[in-house]
Amino acid sequence: MKKYMGNKLAILLFILPALAIFITFDFIPIIQVFAYSFTDWNGLTMPNFTGLKNYLDLFTDRVFFTSNRNQLIFAIVITVYQMLFATVFAITISDKKMNGRKFLRVAYFIPVILSVTVVCQLWSAILSGEGLLNKLFEVAGSDFKQNWLGDRYKAIYVIAFVNAWQWMGYQFALIVAGIKSIPADYYEAARIDGCSNVKAHMKITIPLLAETYKFCLIISLTGGIKAFTEMNILTGGGPNKSTFTLTYMMYNAAFKKSDYGYGLAAASVMVIECMLVMLVINFIFRDKDQKKEEEKARRKRNA
Amino acid sequence: MKKRLLSSLVCLTVAATSLIGCGNAAATTTDTAVSTETKTEAADTTATETKAEDTTATSGEKVTLSIYTQYADDDTKVPYDYAVEQLKEAYPNVELNLIVQAQDDGQTLKTLAATGQLPDIYQASTDLINTFRESNQIMVLNDVAESTGFLDKLYDANKDLAYAEDGNIYAFPFSGQEYVLWYYNKALFAENNLEVPQTYDDLLNCIEVFKSKGITPLALFGQEGWNTAAAFDVVATRYTAGGIKALDEGTAKITDEAYVNAAKKLEELVAAGLFQEDATTTNYDQASEKFLSGEAAMFINGQWYIEDATKALGDNVDWMFYPAQDAAAYTAGKAAFSGGGSASGFAVNPDSANAELAAEVAEFITEKYCEAKVMYRHNPLVALNTGKEPDSEYPAMMKKLSDTLPSVTSTTKFTWGLTNSTFNDGIQSESQGLVSGQFTADEFIADMEDIME
Amino acid sequence: MHKEGKKTALHHIFVIFCWIYAAFSLYPLIWMLFYSFKTNQEIFVTNPFGFPWPLHYENYITAWTKYDVPLYFLNSLLVSIGTVTITIICALLFSYATSRMVWKMKTFTRLFLGLGMFIPVQAIMIPVVKVVQKFGLMGTRWSLIFPYIAINLAFACMVYYGFFKGIPMELEEAACMDGATIYQTFFMIIEPLVRPATVTLVIYIFLNAWNEFILANVVVGSIPALKTLPLGVLFFQGEFTTDWGGMGATMVIASFPAIIVYSIFSEQVESAMTIGGAVKG
Repeated sequence: MKKYMGNKLAILLFILPALAIFITFDFIPIIQVFAYSFTDWNGLTMPNFTGLKNYLDLFTDRVFFTSNRNQLIFAIVITVYQMLFATVFAITISDKKMNGRKFLRVAYFIPVILSVTVVCQLWSAILSGEGLLNKLFEVAGSDFKQNWLGDRYKAIYVIAFVNAWQWMGYQFALIVAGIKSIPADYYEAARIDGCSNVKAHMKITIPLLAETYKFCLIISLTGGIKAFTEMNILTGGGPNKSTFTLTYMMYNAAFKKSDYGYGLAAASVMVIECMLVMLVINFIFRDKDQKKEEEKARRKRNA
Repeated sequence: MKKRLLSSLVCLTVAATSLIGCGNAAATTTDTAVSTETKTEAADTTATETKAEDTTATSGEKVTLSIYTQYADDDTKVPYDYAVEQLKEAYPNVELNLIVQAQDDGQTLKTLAATGQLPDIYQASTDLINTFRESNQIMVLNDVAESTGFLDKLYDANKDLAYAEDGNIYAFPFSGQEYVLWYYNKALFAENNLEVPQTYDDLLNCIEVFKSKGITPLALFGQEGWNTAAAFDVVATRYTAGGIKALDEGTAKITDEAYVNAAKKLEELVAAGLFQEDATTTNYDQASEKFLSGEAAMFINGQWYIEDATKALGDNVDWMFYPAQDAAAYTAGKAAFSGGGSASGFAVNPDSANAELAAEVAEFITEKYCEAKVMYRHNPLVALNTGKEPDSEYPAMMKKLSDTLPSVTSTTKFTWGLTNSTFNDGIQSESQGLVSGQFTADEFIADMEDIME
Repeated sequence: MHKEGKKTALHHIFVIFCWIYAAFSLYPLIWMLFYSFKTNQEIFVTNPFGFPWPLHYENYITAWTKYDVPLYFLNSLLVSIGTVTITIICALLFSYATSRMVWKMKTFTRLFLGLGMFIPVQAIMIPVVKVVQKFGLMGTRWSLIFPYIAINLAFACMVYYGFFKGIPMELEEAACMDGATIYQTFFMIIEPLVRPATVTLVIYIFLNAWNEFILANVVVGSIPALKTLPLGVLFFQGEFTTDWGGMGATMVIASFPAIIVYSIFSEQVESAMTIGGAVKG
């Protein structure tokens, strides 16, 4: 068996196409990004090596700290929102007794289909000073009018919500697909044991989809760290760069100030942050993976 | 089925391995000298192409030139369409391939330049001219400007717009000197028995009255940094005529008393509610519609807006001299405008297969842009003396501006005319902070000082 | 049994919430449709949310005449299909090898490829375009397809990895004993089991490729014959002003095919999933 699953030729054939494309069109450019982050390159002229200057400048830049704070807020908001709603809706949809479940499944996915531009235009109309939301508060007689997107400290939460709202549908679809791949007899067994539907899911779905959840966690957290488009459309990074992220810093430095090297230093820091997050998540889930394997083995023996 | 899958898999792998081979080779060279390599590469290909193209050009066959410019609203479409039409007669063998410019801070053009794909003709701002100058990706147009008579047609006042800092011509400007105008809705002021404000105290009074009526005093499109920088500049020029231009050139410091006072004054006006609360997330169209529909009483924009404003509001719109701290400063300040010309316009890619022809065509298009702007957009403030008359009378606001201009003694710059890109980025975002009302004048001054170090 | 009553009340509230959230998710479609029939004045001042009246259908005429909609559409379609097909094949094979097969370095290789998820397109744009040029892909649709594959690959591999992990090892053991080759096992037994993942990925990657703007603008922005639909919005952005209604029309033109494809596909999703379940049962 070990020899069967360790077929060297097969492994090579399987991993080569992906690796080739990845290395050529992604990895080589990434290496260049790191290399240029140590230079004063402006995108066009010959770069001069400047050592750690870009990084030292970056760490003393006020915007660098704002950006990191924003990324953290963004990542936490979207992770909590998406995982929570995606799980709840996925379990609901998977219940065969739920009326209109096919329709609901399509509906929850719709925001994912639309381009970010459309979604951001919609939300900027809803959230603007005289937008739908403030008007609703007005009609309700409440004076809870807010400058939703223009607030120095709160805007980032609002932007994170827009992103979470749009991409929740995708994690939802992944979890639905995951539930489908769990054999139905697991649930039947649970039902016979007298578990309620919710309880059955708590006990079966969530542990069995650990790998899917791990993945969802990684995309949410790293998605938060590299956020850019939403800020670019909704606030333009403002007011006064208070909704910047490292990607935004990179964009601003490279294209507004023609200081590509500095921008790429910001991008490099961001990539390192993402990698750290991924490693930490892998580390946290590692033990659970093993536990899960053991449990599986036990269940097999019992059955 | 199985066999087909397998064989295609093998094909893929073979292709992939060859890709990897090239990829690694590329990696080692790219790391050391990317730009030179691509440059020589680009030069090689253009050299061979030039030969081929030369023969075709002389034999009267079609030449296609790519041009990167804006093409969306009337202000950009009308001149372009007119130029294309005229070009057909003057250069029947030239065809233009329009690449529509994106609103992306020059990201597309810079990437095209970095990868050696610059279009033959492109619209270049001051910032781009300075960047491309260093990397020789912008053609020196001195000779063409001479031979086509461009320099003769250029208004004396606009001479400085054609020349870059090093004394060469890199772009043919079509816009002349431009000005930041403080527009106001006459009808709204009359309805509320308000005089046009001359001092900041008058202005504060206007703000109070308009706000009590639910009218936005001044609609700012603060999502765009240039508008917030202009808002700061119209205040700063009341205290020192140099405004942001002096800061850009380094002849003044942000900690100078005049700028500190200006920032404090703007802070006070913002706190009183001069701008709408969500000003920093308002885009141009939102703010403009607010003003044109009478929901906002005032508006700050360039003089190019005269045409649109007149079309929508007719006699009810006018521009005012910027209010100042007292009556004396107001009168004195009438001669100091915010805004100014910028060295920008149509530039040519020196590596183009038809660089010479492209330069001629660029000059031709520039002339036609000026003509179209005068004739159909009623904007006489173009770079060149076209000798054309507008197809109808100039709007009243334009006449008033023309009458005022001879007495104007100083202008500043629009952000796209600034030369120091660090300062440019700084003033755009810091002024945005100031108008948001969430950053104090002290923070503004401190941050700007920090940025300029 | 006495618990039932309480549960249903809560349950009803929850169901209502589910439907409200769904309405909230569908609203952008209606909003976008309305938006595309309005002028700037209506969008920003007079009628931002209501039904558009009078209908400014000329927005669609403008969009249709400003650029070659069918051609852009075809380009978008070809690029998206090419991207999806190759990405799915590469990711399937790669994830199978890294999740179930036995070899050294497999974790490292997997994490190495995972790097691709973290890099913003803006940062690697210039190097990527240079690579595309080196391979002589400029001026072909491959100039978009390959970078798109590279961008989506890491994501697809991670999704597949999770799904492969969940399949019991006994399947391969049984297949091995039956004398099937590893290729047969993979294509006949394992691949059908991850169909649900494949379908969700097809949709996701297709949408990514379909909506991509930044790279498309740089790579094919100057080649009219290769432009994709998202580039259409450029025809509505002036130096200062934007024709938002026209942009809305362009976005409708670009989005509705995707929505239709998804609606059709989502039926397929359902049946694909049931087949997958049947195989397992």
